[in-house]
Amino acid sequence: MIEAKAQTVPGAETAPTRMSDRVAVGSALYNHVVEFLYEEAALLDQIRLQEWAARLASDLVYTAPLRATRSMDQQNSTVVRTVQHFHDDWRSIMGRVMRLTGTKSAWAEDPPSRTRRLVTNVMVAKTAKLDEFAVTSYLLVTRSRFNSPEYDLISAERRDLLRQDGDSFKLARREIIVDQAVIGTPNFAIFL
Amino acid sequence: MLTQTSPVLSDSTKVADLISTDTREVQMRALSDPEIYELEMERIFGKVWLLLGHESEIPQPGDFVVRDMGSDSVIVSRDAEGAVHVLLNVCSHRGMRVSTVDCGRTQIHKCPYHGWAFRPNGDFIGSPVAHECMHGKIMSKEELGLKKARVTLYGGLIFATWNINGPTFEEFLGDAKWYYDMLFCRTDRGMEVLGPPQRFIVRANWKTAGEQSAADGFHTLTLHRWLGEVGGYAKKAEGESGADLSPEMYGVEISSPHGHALRCIDLGRKIRRLAGMDPDQLSVDEKLAALPPAGMTKEMVGQLAKNLSPDQLKVMAWMPPQVGGMFPNVLFGFVYIPQSDGTIVGSMTLHAYVPRGPDKLEFVNWIFAEKDAPPELREKMLKQTIQLFGTSGTIEQDDSDTWPHMTLSAKGAMGRKMTMKYQAVFETAAPKGWPGPGIVNEGFTKDDTQWHWWLYWRELMTAES
Repeated sequence: MIEAKAQTVPGAETAPTRMSDRVAVGSALYNHVVEFLYEEAALLDQIRLQEWAARLASDLVYTAPLRATRSMDQQNSTVVRTVQHFHDDWRSIMGRVMRLTGTKSAWAEDPPSRTRRLVTNVMVAKTAKLDEFAVTSYLLVTRSRFNSPEYDLISAERRDLLRQDGDSFKLARREIIVDQAVIGTPNFAIFL
Repeated sequence: MLTQTSPVLSDSTKVADLISTDTREVQMRALSDPEIYELEMERIFGKVWLLLGHESEIPQPGDFVVRDMGSDSVIVSRDAEGAVHVLLNVCSHRGMRVSTVDCGRTQIHKCPYHGWAFRPNGDFIGSPVAHECMHGKIMSKEELGLKKARVTLYGGLIFATWNINGPTFEEFLGDAKWYYDMLFCRTDRGMEVLGPPQRFIVRANWKTAGEQSAADGFHTLTLHRWLGEVGGYAKKAEGESGADLSPEMYGVEISSPHGHALRCIDLGRKIRRLAGMDPDQLSVDEKLAALPPAGMTKEMVGQLAKNLSPDQLKVMAWMPPQVGGMFPNVLFGFVYIPQSDGTIVGSMTLHAYVPRGPDKLEFVNWIFAEKDAPPELREKMLKQTIQLFGTSGTIEQDDSDTWPHMTLSAKGAMGRKMTMKYQAVFETAAPKGWPGPGIVNEGFTKDDTQWHWWLYWRELMTAES
């Protein structure tokens, strides 16, 4: 396996970089985490937003930095965490869910998009807290709106903090590092 | 065949005839026709002052950002002396983009293709292998610089135009400047960006967003209806009911013969709630202390009198400009957002809708704060603004899903012959005691501001060049 190089991976401080912390691919714990991510993707794709929201920790931090096109020697600054695309906490995410599920006028997702959240390249690492795991995954969302034959594609790396909660997890931290400097879909009215 | 003046489209339609001044209608065709788009790039985006950013984005000598003037990429740079320049991002040698990044800092912009080098002010320095003189001897170095736009700074905002000998920026703003000063020039140290702008693509003609920015208050009732269902506006005073946002739609609207528009919304209800007193019984200072301008604190209110006139202060405390536009493609929002604890937190945002072809625009969203605003307020404003406006904004995500459908409508063989109507006409005038200039009307939001936007579009599109 390749050790991620901190100086070349933007914002690598939150990524699992040390082999000793890594939870082995295929281990019971790893599978458990992957199951959580798959279930989460299914809930979002099936627009079961309240069930998804029940999996969020009340201290959730949910962000999506901007990306900037910078020269090779400035790759450390391609992830912008000042102004971001999402800058949310549990309360504001619940507000978004309420808007989408509890009003008759959330037009950006009414009629809703048809989406597929493809989650791959999952890596899990232990953290200083026994019940918390740092999880990175690759995400490709295909978003189909109305009758357009074209898909909006959103590709990203997600850096999550999952907290053990009974026999499953709660999402306590998510950073969605999108790849596009100019986002190719007209809004982030869907969760990533 | 496009002629240079009084343009006629290839099917013999005159551009001037797309707008019916008698009935206040605009043909839908204007929203998608590629010929019209090409004319707009020359006659509108090639002529008027365009917003490119804020000087706080490029604070140090050599700092630059790459932005767009219509369909052209430009480098916005600060030179060693601190002056801001706007340069066409097209190498004077073979037309390669000199800069291929979003931002950076350099004293020499070097074209990646053959290495022609330029200063941050656009001057040509030289080309590699100096003794071979690879730029030749036919043209002087002075003639080989990057093409320079005319630049002005206003409240730190960077505007540029290719119309080198055209109207000044002040002339372009006209009477609207009196109101814009209340937003951009109100504090001692001015405002700054909280980061680079959000950028995303909407598959819509730029004018769907541009004309809406010219103070379309009406759409809020339906398109943004959710605000009255669950948002901060759902909380009603006694006697008000349901998801009715219409009380928020009363105020004063300022039109401009140059298509600028401002909605000045009455703060009376908010002040009454915060101060527990009839706003008519309060002085200007008392009102500003009860509800400081969006993005300011009580402690900062004292700065206003140094930078604005008593008449401007009166409007600021009564019906300040909160949303509106600047022709052709800018929206401003300086809004007072009610919080769940009963307080108000401001949002300060500017958008540019950069044309990316007849059917596509790039939404560029800058978020601002006053330099003197305390860190806790800046953090609140940043989060709130991201949650309401721009990419994931729960208000604006509905707009970005609407404009594409108007653009699609404009492609239909029948749809393109249909019209957009601006027939809700103000029958009022300025309210009693209104001290501000311009075309001023009081009451429920109407179509006048957007109609004036289209009239200026028509004027520019049909002007003798």
